[in-house]
Amino acid sequence: MTADARAMLDLADDDPAALTALYEQHGWGDGLPMVPPTPQRVDEMLAGADPDEVIAVLPPRSGIATRHVIAVNAVLAGCEPRHLPVLVAAVGALAAPELNLVGVNATTHCVAPLLIVHGEVAKTGGYNSGLGAFGPGNRANATTGRAVRLILMHVCGARPGPGDASTQGGPAKYSFCVAENTSQSPWGGYAPSVGVHAASAVTLHCGEAPHNVHDMESLEPAPILDKVASAMTSLGQNNAPISSGEYFVALCPEHAAACASAGWTRAHIASYLFNRATLPVAELRRAFDLRAWAPWQQTLADDDRMSMTEHPDNIRIVVIGGAGKHSSVIPSWGMTKSVTVAVDA
Amino acid sequence: MKVYAPDGAVGSPAVSPAPSLPVLTGRRIGILDNTKPNAGALLEGLAQRLVARTGAELRLVETKNAALAAPDEVIARLESEVEAVLTGSAD
Repeated sequence: MTADARAMLDLADDDPAALTALYEQHGWGDGLPMVPPTPQRVDEMLAGADPDEVIAVLPPRSGIATRHVIAVNAVLAGCEPRHLPVLVAAVGALAAPELNLVGVNATTHCVAPLLIVHGEVAKTGGYNSGLGAFGPGNRANATTGRAVRLILMHVCGARPGPGDASTQGGPAKYSFCVAENTSQSPWGGYAPSVGVHAASAVTLHCGEAPHNVHDMESLEPAPILDKVASAMTSLGQNNAPISSGEYFVALCPEHAAACASAGWTRAHIASYLFNRATLPVAELRRAFDLRAWAPWQQTLADDDRMSMTEHPDNIRIVVIGGAGKHSSVIPSWGMTKSVTVAVDA
Repeated sequence: MKVYAPDGAVGSPAVSPAPSLPVLTGRRIGILDNTKPNAGALLEGLAQRLVARTGAELRLVETKNAALAAPDEVIARLESEVEAVLTGSAD
């Protein structure tokens, strides 16, 4: 170790503005007021857990994410102790090699890790999976997502400039956390569908902010999913030149019900979107000199059409939201894979 | 009152950079093009200048994906063929 794991600073008083000013001197903080991480608050957040347990070592700073420093950032973000298990699991998932955090943090793209909370902890933690799930207005979603960003900035060193080269940044970089609406999912939970059979889990998908899909009139799957495919089919997304990238399709309960009532499963939907979200190969070749496409895609003729991703398995279906007919597409940064892990809640 | 710093400790990096070569004369150099726009042209131009000025020999040009580490076989070829590598270019 090259720095003090539990360094402390003197703060004049408990006013959040004083903390903001103190932290700004060190280049810390996300620009919003923070809760001062006093020893008492951090101890309450830890709730007796081993503070020295190392959860992950994270790039580019090689920051050691102990349970203690995770708790410090949870306090700063305004989390409650019941949110810490989700945060700890998420930090562990950030270290998964396939997530490629070094690239996620360093890229010029606007990527941010989206947390999708599944199962029991979504209820016990008070996470919002329904109306307005992507925010604002819910403490669990807002503060857990914010704590992840603070950890990326403080522990990983992903501050704009020296550790985060994002050209424009993005609102998802402040907080990006939501819960799955399992109770209104016709296909059950997402986590078991990818082999994580735990009471509670969290998925991390490194992508863009959600792209809205509005369909008020359709009662059949195809016209709804054609609009989803349209939202997926953009030359401006990294999925276009990077075929291994995933899409998360967050269907609202009413769109999901329309699909399920016609007998469509997650696999049917992914297969349909794979075949509908396409562009002419000639157009894609004109747009990109650098094409990280699968070998079979490289052999396509100019007058063929090519899917926006190389395999239907890269199209992930999850149910999120409340009443209404708005779904969303969350494109990928590209060179990253989503990770789903159990939460020890 | 006291508050904690939010950054925690720093671990040792997985690898340390090799020391720089004192002279390039007669050395075998390579290029690892990360395929960012114009990276190849920039690195090629730099290599040619080094060859002209120092007498180094450009032996090998490899490419890698911009967002991923170079594959092991690419690193192995560079390791066996050259003594210094020019690499890196942002957008």
